[in-house]
Amino acid sequence: MLNLLEYVLRGLLTGAVYGVLALPLSLVFLTTTTIDFAVGAYALVAAVVAAQIGGVFGLVAGLGAAMACSAVLVFVLVLLKRQRGDYRISFILASIGLVVALSSLVFWAKGPTALLNGTVGGVAHLGPLILPYAGLINLAVGVSLLAMLQVVLFKTHAGKVMRATAINPKAASLAGIRVPVVEASTILAGGLLGGTAGILLYYSSGLDFNSPLTLSFAGFGAAVIFGMERPLRCFVGGLILGVVEAISAGYASGAVASMLPMLFVLLVLSVSHAGSARFSGDRP
Amino acid sequence: MKSLRMHSNALAVAAIAVGGGLLVYGKPAAVDTAIVAGIFALIALSAGLIYGQAGILSMTQGVFAAVGAYTTAVMTTRFGWSPFATFAMSIAIPAALALCMSPIVNRLGPLAVALGTLAFAKLLELLIRSWDSVTGGYTGIAGIPPIPGAGQPLVYAALVWAVLTAAVWCYENVMNSMFGGALSTSRHDRARAAADGVAVGTLLSTTYALSACFAGVAGWLYAHHIGFIDPHSLDSHLSITVMLMAVVGGAGVVVGPVVGALLLTVLLQVLPAQEVQGLYFGFALIAVLVFAPEGLLSRSVLKSIRAQVHRWGQQDSAPETQDTKAGLP
Repeated sequence: MLNLLEYVLRGLLTGAVYGVLALPLSLVFLTTTTIDFAVGAYALVAAVVAAQIGGVFGLVAGLGAAMACSAVLVFVLVLLKRQRGDYRISFILASIGLVVALSSLVFWAKGPTALLNGTVGGVAHLGPLILPYAGLINLAVGVSLLAMLQVVLFKTHAGKVMRATAINPKAASLAGIRVPVVEASTILAGGLLGGTAGILLYYSSGLDFNSPLTLSFAGFGAAVIFGMERPLRCFVGGLILGVVEAISAGYASGAVASMLPMLFVLLVLSVSHAGSARFSGDRP
Repeated sequence: MKSLRMHSNALAVAAIAVGGGLLVYGKPAAVDTAIVAGIFALIALSAGLIYGQAGILSMTQGVFAAVGAYTTAVMTTRFGWSPFATFAMSIAIPAALALCMSPIVNRLGPLAVALGTLAFAKLLELLIRSWDSVTGGYTGIAGIPPIPGAGQPLVYAALVWAVLTAAVWCYENVMNSMFGGALSTSRHDRARAAADGVAVGTLLSTTYALSACFAGVAGWLYAHHIGFIDPHSLDSHLSITVMLMAVVGGAGVVVGPVVGALLLTVLLQVLPAQEVQGLYFGFALIAVLVFAPEGLLSRSVLKSIRAQVHRWGQQDSAPETQDTKAGLP
């Protein structure tokens, strides 16, 4: 029983990062009805820059670099929206293209070495339970970001503007809201959140040039469990994904444990509303 | 004549094969590139079929190719089967897996389907890595025999491109049939297709299985070319790469994925640093999506090229016309 409790707690700590990765996916989906798959790449870029420069300035520069990368997709979105037809799939493919490009750039610059900063070492003893400090920081940062996002979305004018854009872009535009600016800001905010996840990973489990797609996948998996419409649901989805991963790693063999999160995502997609039209604009 | 017109894409691929064959003749490295390009083109063709014609953004094509490759590797090395005997198995098993996955794929929206198929691909990949007793785990399977009669690289290249041409011919036949018409209607309007009496679910499942067949054949060719297969040989990253190849060439055009695969494979071979290939590749994809969203072989791109050529033709002939006019009495 104690083991189970420890696995659940450790899963929550890991899942907090997935939750942070799911937040930008939810935000971008809310305002643009498409998915920015490059969140994993923003995380990697932020970690590389933070590692290269070091210190607090490195963290700020890392987050700035992540936002600069997301700015590429802002331009892509603007150009894609000028075309006729559905731009959403093209945007997803472009974001995958950005992942490929940035991963390659990092591989070229840093090689295959994992980026890991072990300065936040040590463990906290909660009675018989042992939890890493780095994981607790991840959870605290994740919950703080979620709280901030909830306040911004539901208590500020900017949040009202974003929600109005999400509900009906045309009506929002007629009401004087500059929809393209809102969409651009959301993608940039996604870059910032993705970069934050990268920094958290840099100080906890580490990441390398191969990580972006896996991270985007984890974030997306977390986001679809309870629906992408609400950041809170996405974050909770991340926590659940982390717990499933930790429990399967604790009780199942290595091979089965690594398969369980995939099976979980497939199961969720099979039975949840994720496949319905309101998830993402159904294939006509 | 009508038959030739109906199979213009297959003829184009055959022409590329013959022209390419003349170019690479006597150059072993170029022959190897031609083989790899042909195999990737076949996987890209499968991605083009499922995405360009059925509208399903599948991330499984690379792993279906891996399943085809592992099938022939296991049958030939463990049970001593002939490569010809394993051909059908290399097609059937990926197709069966696609049919198993299709109930989920059919009900998902376009964004969720990418995630669902990626999860399925990762699952298959993990199964391949973990099933040591059959797949050899991380070490893979070595000593896969070459295809009898196709031991020479040039002969093998001819075989690969002949298979690719046959696949394009088959693809064209499908798209020119009532099946293709129903698929096209379904891609644009599912409700309309259903109202027309099309069993949309069965249609999409069959298309997914057919695309898996193409990928399985590519895997079969790959395994017998390299002679070795491991989990990194054909993985889910390849699924993404071939999808990007299809998009660059034009997923909605039959021959588009072949051209995309050919262009990018050759481009990657001639680029100086292998580490930054992904950089070129990623930004090339973004550029194509922005400036030619339907691919390089889309109607709009071809139309603008024709218009440009026409303008150049007019500019060249304009002074000549004036001279002629000036010479008139």
